[in-house]
Amino acid sequence: MNLMDAQINRQVIATAAQHDGPIETDAVIVGAGPVGLFQVFELGLLEIKAHVIDSLAYPGGQCIELYPDKPIYDIPAVPVCTGKELTDSLLKQIQPFGATFHFGQEVSTVERQQDGRFYVETSRGTRFLTKTIFIAAGVGAFQPKLLRVEGLSRFDDTQLFYRVRNPADFAGKNIVVVGGGDSALDWALNFVNDGPNKAESVILIHRRDGFKAAPASVAKMKALCDSYEMQFIVGQITGYDEKDRRLVGVKVTGADGITRVVPLDLLLVFFGLSPKLGPIAEWGLDIERKQLRVDTEKFSTNTPGIFAVGDINTYPGKKKLILSGFHECALAAFGAAPIIFPDKKIHLQYTTTSPKLHKVLGVESPVFD
Amino acid sequence: MTHIVSESCIRCKYTDCVDVCPVDCFREGPNMLVIDPDECIDCAVCIPECPVNAIYAEEDVPADQMKFIALNIELSSAAGWKSITKRKPALPDADEWKDKTGKLAELVR
Repeated sequence: MNLMDAQINRQVIATAAQHDGPIETDAVIVGAGPVGLFQVFELGLLEIKAHVIDSLAYPGGQCIELYPDKPIYDIPAVPVCTGKELTDSLLKQIQPFGATFHFGQEVSTVERQQDGRFYVETSRGTRFLTKTIFIAAGVGAFQPKLLRVEGLSRFDDTQLFYRVRNPADFAGKNIVVVGGGDSALDWALNFVNDGPNKAESVILIHRRDGFKAAPASVAKMKALCDSYEMQFIVGQITGYDEKDRRLVGVKVTGADGITRVVPLDLLLVFFGLSPKLGPIAEWGLDIERKQLRVDTEKFSTNTPGIFAVGDINTYPGKKKLILSGFHECALAAFGAAPIIFPDKKIHLQYTTTSPKLHKVLGVESPVFD
Repeated sequence: MTHIVSESCIRCKYTDCVDVCPVDCFREGPNMLVIDPDECIDCAVCIPECPVNAIYAEEDVPADQMKFIALNIELSSAAGWKSITKRKPALPDADEWKDKTGKLAELVR
């Protein structure tokens, strides 16, 4: 999943660059978790097209990031499914509506324009002019957990990286990879393997000799260590060495209490992701303990046109359940329709019987005798 | 907002909470666990797991446990307090200490 990260990010940058002006749209959804995905569906039934933004490089949000393989038992009419299965089903369900996804970026700016629309800009410079915003940001944008060593952050993005944007930058370098999950193992193996991005040397450091990563990757790593093509050290980074303002080595304290210096050109850290609320707090919305206060008629925030659905919102009796989020999506979509189509009368239609909905869903209207 | 480990954990450290944490936000000291407030996402799954009811949502912390809000912040980044993600046996005399109150003086940093 993470190896695809860099490739998808490059595509996103290219897409953004093609647009001279902001993308004009009816709806921007912030967050591609289950609730953000279902918001696409509810808007789609009302013929509202949406753009979806997520900090992760893939859809699914908490379902994918925190519990992809854990069974969920409280989705109505689905006795059991995993986070991954739920995400896949939702993607299939919203497929007719052709939402555009903008992954690997967070919304940094939201500003109301003179004409009532919102100007939205992301951390990657993708810009939108939208009539409505649906914040389905869950517990916040997933950000890499940092390696906390005093002073080390000076090397952020020059020699210290928490993600690989362009694998070619690591070719021919002496790399230290830190972590014990799939990202750490996948990238370590990637840079050891023959190919255009092969590193000069790869050293993997993890705090214990046990891994969260897939057993097959761990076995591969151990085999490569046995054939001296890479090295694995058990320990924690407790300090660093620098020379002429460049990071030249990390101090690794082993289980034996001895600290050794490991020389390097580039340091790659994969400690997993942790959600952070981020700039949402600065958009002038009514916020209560990291949650956006909404009404329960339209799930609108205190700013008309900005709705909040799923775990990010709060109202009397709120329960953070996926099924509650789904309900909120339906009412938010109906709440937004008059803003997007001020002159259109909106009727509640049923997918069972409405030829109009069959058309937007791209299905045949059944004929009953 | 975060969740807080309070006094009841001191000298017990049952660690049932760490297995269920989706974001690995527990930190382990010599005789107590704390929650890193920067990592906790308020999912509340840990609360019912604790056999001594040591965990509270920040806004539900009882008046006599308020000092643990600051203690969780401080200890979660204190030297030697490390991430704990897998359950392990409780302290050997945990059962003797579990119903005792006024244990703050017993806290080893």
